[in-house]
Amino acid sequence: MSDHEKIRELLALSAADALTREEEEQVMNHIRTCAGCSAELENWRLLATGMRRLPTPQPRPLIVERARAQAAVRFAEEAEHRWHRIVMMGVILFAWALTLISWPVVRFVTGGLLGMLDPGLNHAWVGFAIVTTVVWMTGGAAAVFLSLQQRRERSLA
Amino acid sequence: MHPCFVALGLSLFPELVRSMDMIGSAAIMWEGRVGLESEVAQLQRGDLDALSALLARYQNRLYRYLLRLVREPAEAEDLFQQTWVRVAEKIRQYDSKRNFEAWLFTVARNLAFDHLRRIRPESLDEPIAGMPGESAATRLASAERPVLDGIMERERTGRLARALELLPVAHREVLTLRFEEEMKLEEIADVIDIPLSTVKTRLRRALDRLRKTLETNYPGEVWQ
Repeated sequence: MSDHEKIRELLALSAADALTREEEEQVMNHIRTCAGCSAELENWRLLATGMRRLPTPQPRPLIVERARAQAAVRFAEEAEHRWHRIVMMGVILFAWALTLISWPVVRFVTGGLLGMLDPGLNHAWVGFAIVTTVVWMTGGAAAVFLSLQQRRERSLA
Repeated sequence: MHPCFVALGLSLFPELVRSMDMIGSAAIMWEGRVGLESEVAQLQRGDLDALSALLARYQNRLYRYLLRLVREPAEAEDLFQQTWVRVAEKIRQYDSKRNFEAWLFTVARNLAFDHLRRIRPESLDEPIAGMPGESAATRLASAERPVLDGIMERERTGRLARALELLPVAHREVLTLRFEEEMKLEEIADVIDIPLSTVKTRLRRALDRLRKTLETNYPGEVWQ
């Protein structure tokens, strides 16, 4: 490909201000001596100017307002979800802390200070595990139920 | 005053005015950028006024971009609303090191392309055939021009908008981002998520194709 052809390939991008400084200099140097490329660049510039002058369509005010309202609702929902997540994490941490603390307490109450050191895979432990599991499952089911109900209410609103 | 000083003052005056203009433009750009950053930060903190400010700032540009992609005003309006809902959902995940404009247009682009893939998958590959008599762009072009603009210019603008509509979506997109949104090539690469060299190639091909379309349909026309 000759220099002339290479420059010709760059003319459209020159009109679009999309060349590097070196490329732009090459184009400018070339068009000083090449009437054909100069005229061609002028054509590209006219097209580029036409593109820049295309009218800007505007959205209807109603649509803008609706977008604002919908985004605000979504934004509030997101904030609510975040708050729920934080509360849920807090409650779960609290519940686990209570669970872990209650085991030594149960051992202390049922077997005294020495009983606490005994792993004691006995009836007390099994009973404690069953109670803990039932409490956690009840809590989980309640959380799922509340979440479903909230979602239903939101879809009806 | 000595005439030499007067002559020197007069010769320096245009340079001075030009420099002042440049400083003024830079200051306005800086102010705009700082304002934008502050609005985005406020929105991330949960301020709904910032949402209104951002919407006012970008409503026309975003709608125009979506309209260029999907060509149908009703679909563009729908996507416009979806974009702002998505912004409300994702704004906390937005990395403030990134250009907000590029992020916003990427959100809109993803929604528009998902929509096109679902509704008109063929439109992602090929331009529509023939020149429609009265397209959305023509209607918009003729409706939006100021009254004082000449009829000829309005017609030319309408034809250019119509020719733009006939290009494939990838070409329409790169042309609108470069010429209407006035994005730098790096920003376009960021929005479309392609290398800079591909943006250049695509832009050149898009211009070539636009010109061929115009020359085929309106031979001898001047496109300013």
